[in-house]
Amino acid sequence: MKRISSAAALIAGLLAAAPAWAAEEWGLPEEEVARFEAKVVDVLCELTGDCPGDCGAGNRQLGLVTDAGVLVLPVKNFTAFSGAAAELIDFCGKRVVADGLFTTNRDTKIFALQFVKEAPDGKWRRANRFLTKWAEANGFQAGGPEAKQWFRNDPQVKAVIGRDGVLGLGTEADKDYLEKQ
Amino acid sequence: MSRIPAWIAATGLALTAVTAEPALAAGERVKVTGEVIDSWCYITEIMFPEGSAHHQCAVWCAAGGIPVGILGDDGTVYMVLKMGDDATSVANPAVLEIQTHRVKVDGALYKRDGINYLIVDRVLADEGIVKVNHEEWGVQPFGK
Repeated sequence: MKRISSAAALIAGLLAAAPAWAAEEWGLPEEEVARFEAKVVDVLCELTGDCPGDCGAGNRQLGLVTDAGVLVLPVKNFTAFSGAAAELIDFCGKRVVADGLFTTNRDTKIFALQFVKEAPDGKWRRANRFLTKWAEANGFQAGGPEAKQWFRNDPQVKAVIGRDGVLGLGTEADKDYLEKQ
Repeated sequence: MSRIPAWIAATGLALTAVTAEPALAAGERVKVTGEVIDSWCYITEIMFPEGSAHHQCAVWCAAGGIPVGILGDDGTVYMVLKMGDDATSVANPAVLEIQTHRVKVDGALYKRDGINYLIVDRVLADEGIVKVNHEEWGVQPFGK
């Protein structure tokens, strides 16, 4: 786990990202900076033919199919602890220019989306729409402290962690562990 | 577009030689046993990504829409796209309920461009969290 020490730095970077319209390096395994054009697809539809027409309205994982037919899976966006579906749903079925990082490890190759625009000449967006959408859905100000720490304020998270504890073993296990610290 | 990785071009050329459009195929029927994981933390190793030490982070990431995976006992990573009749794979409340659990599932496996996608039909067994490792690894990534 040699990369554990970089986790806090990476997350801190996501919480206070500097403006730029090109991918920044994160020090991921076999990292490749990449910018490419692709079509935004519903991955389940692409694989199975189960196609609701709106890419699942933000409830499904979205992929990027390149002109060469490669299905790229964007797993991460440009905000802490959140994925790329919220960033790509506005482009369902459209061609985009995706900018970010490929990383390959543990026999799996995934993509972290940092910027996106409609191809070929759309306006660049930082891939951080998740925070705005989360704030709107939960009655907070976008850019406010609750949104920046969305993962501590999300009702679904609070319900699960409140019931099962941060360790997932029950609140008594949390209490026992913390008393030892 | 000067930064198209070589692997995309290479893979694409091979695919194009066979067919211009990927044909839909039935998935391979499989049974998978392993831990429900956050795919990002596990694949990137940006922190310790398993068991009770990582449970809170795994819940955060699942709620944030990062694909949830299953780490099979043989080390294979599967990306979960569907659970039973529910095609929600972004912040699915039912999946949050089994995050970090050791489960046995059956379903259909689709392999495409280096990723194993799993359509889960049923959860056959749920053992809860069996990797109790927070004493060794602490609470990832910030502590409690």
